[in-house]
Amino acid sequence: MTPPNTSSPASNDKLTGLLQKLDASITQLSEAAEFAKPSKVPHVLDIARRVMMQEGGCAAIEERAERLEAEGIFDGSDWAQPQILMPSLSGGSLQSADVTLVVIESLSQLRMLAVAKGLYRHTLISDESALHFLTQVMALNLSLLFTAPNEAERETQGRLAQLPRLLFQHIAARIGYEHIIDELIQEIWRILQQRPIQVEPVKQMITQIALSQADPAIDLGSSGQGADRLVSSLYGPTQACREDPGIDVYRERLSGMDSGALQYEATGFARAMHDTGLVSPYHPVLLRHLLDHSDQLLAEALGLSSTGRDCLLCYRELVHTIIRTSVHPQTSQAAYGLALTLERGILYQPPIAPSLWRQLGLTLSEWSEARLYAAFGDSVSHRARLMEGVLCVLGLPLGIGQGNNPTCQSARALSMWSFNDPDYLLQMVTWAARDDEIIMHFEGQPISSRDSIGGVAQNLPLDLDPVSLLVVPHLDRIYVEMGRRCVGREGDPHRWVNPEFHGWWSGRGFRINVDVATGQLSDMDTFLRHFYASYHPGYNGNQPLIHPQPAGMAITDSAARFIGWHAITILRTAMDPSGVVRVYFFNPNNDSGQDWGDGVKVSTAGNGERFGEASLPFPQFASRLYIFHHDPLEHGELAEVTEQELSEVIAMVHRSWGANRLPPTDLQAESGPTDQG
Amino acid sequence: MKKDPNKGFIALLGWSLNAVEAAEKFDRRYVVVAPDWAEEYCKQHDIPYVSWNFERLNDRSVEIAETLKEMGVDVSIPLFEETVEWAGAINSVLLDNPRLYGQSLLLRDKALMKRRAQLGGIRVGIFEEAHDKGDVVRFLKRVNQTLLKLDGDPNDPIHLKAFDKAGCLGHRVIRTPDEIDAIPDEEFPVLMESHLDGWEFAVEAWIHNGKIAFLNISEYVTLGYSVFVPASPELERYREQIRQQIEKLVKTFDIEFGLIHPEYFVTSDGEMYFGEVAYRPPGFKVFELLERVYGFNAYQASMLVFDPKTTAEEVAEFFPREVVDADGFAGCFGVYPRRRVVSRLEIPEEVEDHPYFESHELTPPMEETVTKRTAFGTHWGLVYFRGEDAHTLRDLLKEQEDMDYYV
Repeated sequence: MTPPNTSSPASNDKLTGLLQKLDASITQLSEAAEFAKPSKVPHVLDIARRVMMQEGGCAAIEERAERLEAEGIFDGSDWAQPQILMPSLSGGSLQSADVTLVVIESLSQLRMLAVAKGLYRHTLISDESALHFLTQVMALNLSLLFTAPNEAERETQGRLAQLPRLLFQHIAARIGYEHIIDELIQEIWRILQQRPIQVEPVKQMITQIALSQADPAIDLGSSGQGADRLVSSLYGPTQACREDPGIDVYRERLSGMDSGALQYEATGFARAMHDTGLVSPYHPVLLRHLLDHSDQLLAEALGLSSTGRDCLLCYRELVHTIIRTSVHPQTSQAAYGLALTLERGILYQPPIAPSLWRQLGLTLSEWSEARLYAAFGDSVSHRARLMEGVLCVLGLPLGIGQGNNPTCQSARALSMWSFNDPDYLLQMVTWAARDDEIIMHFEGQPISSRDSIGGVAQNLPLDLDPVSLLVVPHLDRIYVEMGRRCVGREGDPHRWVNPEFHGWWSGRGFRINVDVATGQLSDMDTFLRHFYASYHPGYNGNQPLIHPQPAGMAITDSAARFIGWHAITILRTAMDPSGVVRVYFFNPNNDSGQDWGDGVKVSTAGNGERFGEASLPFPQFASRLYIFHHDPLEHGELAEVTEQELSEVIAMVHRSWGANRLPPTDLQAESGPTDQG
Repeated sequence: MKKDPNKGFIALLGWSLNAVEAAEKFDRRYVVVAPDWAEEYCKQHDIPYVSWNFERLNDRSVEIAETLKEMGVDVSIPLFEETVEWAGAINSVLLDNPRLYGQSLLLRDKALMKRRAQLGGIRVGIFEEAHDKGDVVRFLKRVNQTLLKLDGDPNDPIHLKAFDKAGCLGHRVIRTPDEIDAIPDEEFPVLMESHLDGWEFAVEAWIHNGKIAFLNISEYVTLGYSVFVPASPELERYREQIRQQIEKLVKTFDIEFGLIHPEYFVTSDGEMYFGEVAYRPPGFKVFELLERVYGFNAYQASMLVFDPKTTAEEVAEFFPREVVDADGFAGCFGVYPRRRVVSRLEIPEEVEDHPYFESHELTPPMEETVTKRTAFGTHWGLVYFRGEDAHTLRDLLKEQEDMDYYV
């Protein structure tokens, strides 16, 4: 639990040596003739980078911030005017692959810190504004403060990925964790409410909070109040493990408990798990212990309702075997996946139980094992690791995330299958994990993931859950190959690819409001009228959506500017508790709570959302929609949709992603919508 | 820096930012003579500038000498191999000494240079000029016959060098007749030399009034890859002999002033063989290394010894004591990509963490496929090291050859 931050005399020597070099390079810069200064700057930046990579290095730079700025290190760039810098841009710079950008941004942050702490009186920015700036940067990039670099960062930045983290640790220590901790707790709850399958980053953040609470050197003031539930859910959810005694001690304690005490433990764990979606490593110890005691208590410990309990009793042997083989302290999230899988009742579908038996005995290919090892190590068997993933995907279909990869299509497909066609999903997992090959058919022609040349993702992603890790590379290649086979057809390839890729239930009716050739908006009125008539309960005869439907969104940033095309799933449309008709949808992005600008803020909780759902009021959703499928035989009441409703939506389109796509004004086309991600 | 009107006015031939920087900080007046592409930069930064394109010498060449003379320039300094004969021509006008031009031509042609050295009683290896591939085959055969090799014995290599190029440009090592086929015809004529087994090193010597003002020995760890200064104690042992060799060279080439940069081999029995000599700053940034350990600026040193108005006292005061005044050892390594396909620059962790590591001037790769090296090729940039111990530095430089900077 303790981050490796021990200082050693060797590293101090190194820092001293580097600081001498840094001071010499600053002197060189200051003595250089005006024309020679630019050629001295790279050297200063390079040494500054090495200094900041050392423990105590950021502090040393902070002390030199004024001198560095005076010598012109920021000259000729935006950083020379700190008053115009925007907190929202810092994260991008710090995670850039461009070393110079990372270093300049870091130096600027330390300059802000020196200003905020009153070490440096700046003519352009006050200490108060500097502090405000820093707090925002920290809150916006909490992951840089509390988590190790993810695979994507490691790939682009290498060792450099440590730099922003050391920087943030220094800034946080200087301005005080209390400034950011409440922000962080709020953020964790917001993420947990979406019940992601991958909870490792969240766990790390909680661990950091626990550490800073325990550290007498960190004064959290009155902040951090909301952290108790989070910390306890991981490190001590029940009476018998309150003080985080360690797995072995806890196991021993269990053996001395009567059924009353066990009951108490069971409900404690169940409550913590269902409150947060996080499973303590102690929880599997109890579950395994209860296998030899009572199914009643087992159901209790999984927090099952009558549906789940029935399912458990019906498939008792399967559930026992799953727990025995796959639910370990290292795979604790499997318990949550199992509980929710039982709750969904999908075991009653005839193919599911046999599929899970197959999964339990599955032989993994060498390639699959290597991938699992690369992503998760080998603290438990790869088969158990994959089973944890399978249970979580089945239990939390909307908890799948695409990681830092452009594979939204594949993530969406996995989610949709888990939601709607779980035995098909299990078949996919088997093919991928055992055979290293998936074959899908496109208009009668087989497509093998082996033959296909390449997918959307340039590199094999590692920042994924175990199931996605193995299946997504195959799906990605097949998806791209399907698109390739549509080359030359008129219009958008998703018309044909989506139903073939996702499943027969994707509507064969297809609408798009962008002209593929020119990138301009087209036929907005018909597009929206069909959408309203097919999906809005007011116009489709109050028919709830039967199958999840793929749809394409034009994603915009908080200033409503177009960012890119993105694949989502429409799950349902319904009235929320306050009477507003909303579209509830699945976004394969890791965090669905996004601000799309012009007042369109995607909600993930508090408006009738189920775990993992995102939602928007119907017109707002329609204003970012650019592709949807529908059943042409169930067309709804097209004529009843009012002009006023439609023109409101169209106005929103024009104010956001459609601003540069108005057809008659300009013939210059932006690239049409071909790739989603 | 404030310029002293009583001291010389110096023209720098060729564009070198480091030289301009040094001149800016020195008390001599100066002017940069460079091709027109440097004009805008010089104007923008108030750098004194005269435009001149250094092509082959021709009838118009006297124009630049006269222009500089009218400006009151006292002497010109060549910064690159290609401007050496220009400096000779210009200085013969400025200093009214026609011999300087002939001297510069000697220093520009490797074959002429060797002959002159031989005439002066300096030991050189076997050498010959080659005009085509046939000449190379014959030379390779004859050298190996001389060495009493039998058919089938591995040949001793020979070296091919362009007559008038600096450093390793166009330098090839030939061991077998097949390798001769790979030489493009346009590289001829070339100078061929027998291979000398021994320790190769270079010297930078500043000459004033025909005497050595400062003599540095640069030790090569691997030719074309790495160099450091001052040399290790093992090589510095030969300093006295080396000084005698340089004195001989100065006399043979009749050098009164300036910076010379010769290369030698010392064989295991302590015999010195002359390789070649250049009348310009060395490549491989030895100037920067010298500044790092001795603290004096080598460009300023050259301006000092070239300036006819410089007094012997000023020279004596300018230079530190050889070797004893050096603060540690400084070396640099020329990085070549080792892989055929590279995607990014990544300084090896053990290099970056080494206390001797100072800095690098490498840039990210422009393209992914690495062009195959011909001859010795050109490195992609230098990495600088500095430390207290010559042997640690030497081993460190050697280790760099097995490291991937581009992955």
